[in-house]
Amino acid sequence: MTPLEPMYSLHERIWHWLQALAMILLILTGFSMHYAGRFTIFGGMKGDVLWHSWIGFFLILNALLGIFYHFTADKYHHYIPRMDDFTTGAIKQIKFYLFGIFKGEKHPMETDPRKKLNSLQKLTYLGLLGVLIPFQIVTGVMMWGATRWPEAFAKVGGMKVLAPAHTLGAYLFLAFIIVHVYLTTTGNTPFALLRAMITGYQTPKSERE
Amino acid sequence: MKVFRLTGLLAVLTLSLLAAGLLFFAQAPTTAPVAKQDTKPLKISHPTIPLLDAKGVNVIKSNAPISTRKTCGRCHDYDFITDSFHFQQGRAERGNPELLKAHGISPFNVTPGMYGKYSVIPNRQLAHLGIKSPDDFDMGTADWLLHCGVCHTGGGISEFDSENRKYGTVPEKDIDPLDRDYHVRDAKTGKVVAWDWKKSGYTEGDCFLCHVPKANRGARRERVATGDFRWANNATLVGSGIVKELEDGSLYYVKSAFNKDGTVKPDVLDLSDPTLGNCAQCHGFSAHYETNIQPIQNKDILRGTEKVGWIYDGAKISDTVHPNIVDKDKMDYPWDVHASKGLICIDCHFAPNNPGRKQQMDLKKNLRYKPKGEDIAAYLRRPDHNFARGSIPPETVNMTRHFTMRGCEDCHVADKIHKFLPYRRQHLKKLACQTCHIPKVNFWAYRSVDWGFLMNTGTSRITFRGIDGDIVDPDSKIFGYYPTYIPTKNEHGDTEIRPTNLITGIDWFDKDKGRPVFTWQVQQALFEGRESDGTWIYRPEVVKLFGDEDGFIDIPQAVYDKPEKVALVKSLLQKYAGIKNPELRITVVPWAMSHSIVGGKQAIKECTVCHSSNSILHRPIKLNDVAPKNVPVYYGGKRINVVSYASDGPRFNNKALLSGFYIIGNSRVFWIELLGWLFVLGSLIFVLVHGALRLIVGGKS
Repeated sequence: MTPLEPMYSLHERIWHWLQALAMILLILTGFSMHYAGRFTIFGGMKGDVLWHSWIGFFLILNALLGIFYHFTADKYHHYIPRMDDFTTGAIKQIKFYLFGIFKGEKHPMETDPRKKLNSLQKLTYLGLLGVLIPFQIVTGVMMWGATRWPEAFAKVGGMKVLAPAHTLGAYLFLAFIIVHVYLTTTGNTPFALLRAMITGYQTPKSERE
Repeated sequence: MKVFRLTGLLAVLTLSLLAAGLLFFAQAPTTAPVAKQDTKPLKISHPTIPLLDAKGVNVIKSNAPISTRKTCGRCHDYDFITDSFHFQQGRAERGNPELLKAHGISPFNVTPGMYGKYSVIPNRQLAHLGIKSPDDFDMGTADWLLHCGVCHTGGGISEFDSENRKYGTVPEKDIDPLDRDYHVRDAKTGKVVAWDWKKSGYTEGDCFLCHVPKANRGARRERVATGDFRWANNATLVGSGIVKELEDGSLYYVKSAFNKDGTVKPDVLDLSDPTLGNCAQCHGFSAHYETNIQPIQNKDILRGTEKVGWIYDGAKISDTVHPNIVDKDKMDYPWDVHASKGLICIDCHFAPNNPGRKQQMDLKKNLRYKPKGEDIAAYLRRPDHNFARGSIPPETVNMTRHFTMRGCEDCHVADKIHKFLPYRRQHLKKLACQTCHIPKVNFWAYRSVDWGFLMNTGTSRITFRGIDGDIVDPDSKIFGYYPTYIPTKNEHGDTEIRPTNLITGIDWFDKDKGRPVFTWQVQQALFEGRESDGTWIYRPEVVKLFGDEDGFIDIPQAVYDKPEKVALVKSLLQKYAGIKNPELRITVVPWAMSHSIVGGKQAIKECTVCHSSNSILHRPIKLNDVAPKNVPVYYGGKRINVVSYASDGPRFNNKALLSGFYIIGNSRVFWIELLGWLFVLGSLIFVLVHGALRLIVGGKS
């Protein structure tokens, strides 16, 4: 039996799961505020508000550490799409999810330690890490800092603009998490990808074929 | 020798002990009884004064009415003092349409103040100068004084006409035939008739009403309401021991109240700063500790109580003996926390130039407190009677001194005592303190005043909120009511949310004349005459449409619940009152709450009270039993629809007013929610369908 190949380093896994935990808690506390009075996570709206802020700042810190790690460990290139990722790569991947997967076709872009993400993942993470997270961070920090930087807060339209924008971002995050969790079941086995993100190892490409 | 030595030693020891004892007691703190501290607050005595008549003669000799101009004016600048709002009530701003426009006040008003500005409650309009037709005359100055002069403290309006001529001094030939200052609309005949100022006399500023603790508003009211303006100020002193009323109604001076030199005994007159009781006479029920709440005094509902249910009382609600407050046992806290701490009105609403009180400067400048204030002598000569005040809706009155009073943040460091509050500064900026500190009004207040249809008394249909039953019935259950919330500007220019009571008027508007239809015109339309006892007789067509089976029109029937009723009265106004283009309108007027403040324990602290889908900030308070549909709705002088119609009556809908606020947990942007849920549901559907297909097809799984 071929030994499992290392896929995710300990740093990557800790970063991923902390990020996931923070995002889930942010979504839960955020929606507990948005739908206040219906459910609560930390004992009441006041607790939810305070935890939402702290977790938000933790997410920022974790994101910065993630950036630092990926650059210093030379792993940032996994997330940088090439031109063909936008075109043929993405189309291939979509076709696979819509049709090929039902026919038992081979995965068009099998991942390995040198190429951890398929084209669609690269594009999704570009939107998530490059747009959605910064957007949520900026709108969230501005709402948190409304009394600290009232001018900046007012310039962008105050709560009337920031709060709905932040809410829309939260809905997008929720949608992402639903699809992301589901797609972890599309590996070699339903839990193969999840196991890889927990243990750090996956079945080698040769064994999968 | 030994014995001698021993004796000497003992003597020395004894003397030493004695000396030490003496020294100890000499240095020990004195145990002599300390003089008992006088807990009675010190009061500066006003010098003894003689009471003078208009000729400067001591009234004890002349038996003439007291002239405050002569009496008080010897030391105080009477003209300066009576030039202030309490005496002028907006008269000083008459004939200034630009000012009205600047404050968003409709041009049919004469002034921006109580004297000359329309209000839905009395529904009377002061006549403009220069009118040519009696059809344009509703109320003259004497009319105004007969109804409002009891509270409005003489001087100004009560003393001089619009051209600053003293009443009773203008020759008849110089008087315009419809001059509001010299004519009234007679209540019995409905005709515009001349007012005889020589007979009624005029009223100088009534200094006693506010500066004599035993001031008698009731006796003053009797004089003013019957047109005896001359003796009104004397009547204020009935009961003080200085003036007594004889059976024939005449007033005389009690000689024993005066010293031999003609001055009044100081303990009898007791001139002092205005007490809580002085202000309460006109402004709303106020007391240091009172368990019998009597908001109807001297035939009038105290105004602040009438409009918002204001009870400024240091007694606990649970101690209330009268009236019947429902669940009072659960309310083990004072009616007003400030009253319970002994604060009186002038602690916050002081004379702005009083050097003994804080002088608040223009907050836009750097000086918040001016240590070098006015000299005490200069202040006593010319005390500014435009008292420090806030600026709360409705902006009907004083155009000056906005935000000069000692507000909440002048005494309380809100930042320190609200540390429990997330986003503290944001909350303190967006919410008036009253929003959380008046969670509920535990009394009744006006709810609606409909002058659009009149009862057979010829007056409006009035309903109250917060009470089940009649306000004069001691058995009526008082449930109190919850405030509704509106945006207002605070002293920093920020828009904040503030609690109010809403009073809704349903009135006719004369579109051609651009003013509300006068009450006498509505009377002409609805009634065909009067009984000998003064009861008005409805026209048969009115009884037919509005009355019930017994042919009477009671309060429940006196409403515009059908379009036919509106059409009928419209046609009657056209036919009998000559109003070509009448329009029925709903006017919703907010009356801000500032008193009945509760302390921190009772204040709103739970986030979801505001931050939830059933937020109190959008509480749909009931406006009236019935309100006509499809008629224009006015709020704050503008046509804004703030009424939504529920099955049990019209309700206030402040969504448009609070649209500038995003209240987390309550506010929703429709398309954001739609788009957001489309993404989430779309993802779920994709996952479910895709997963199910993978299982069914048995492909790669």
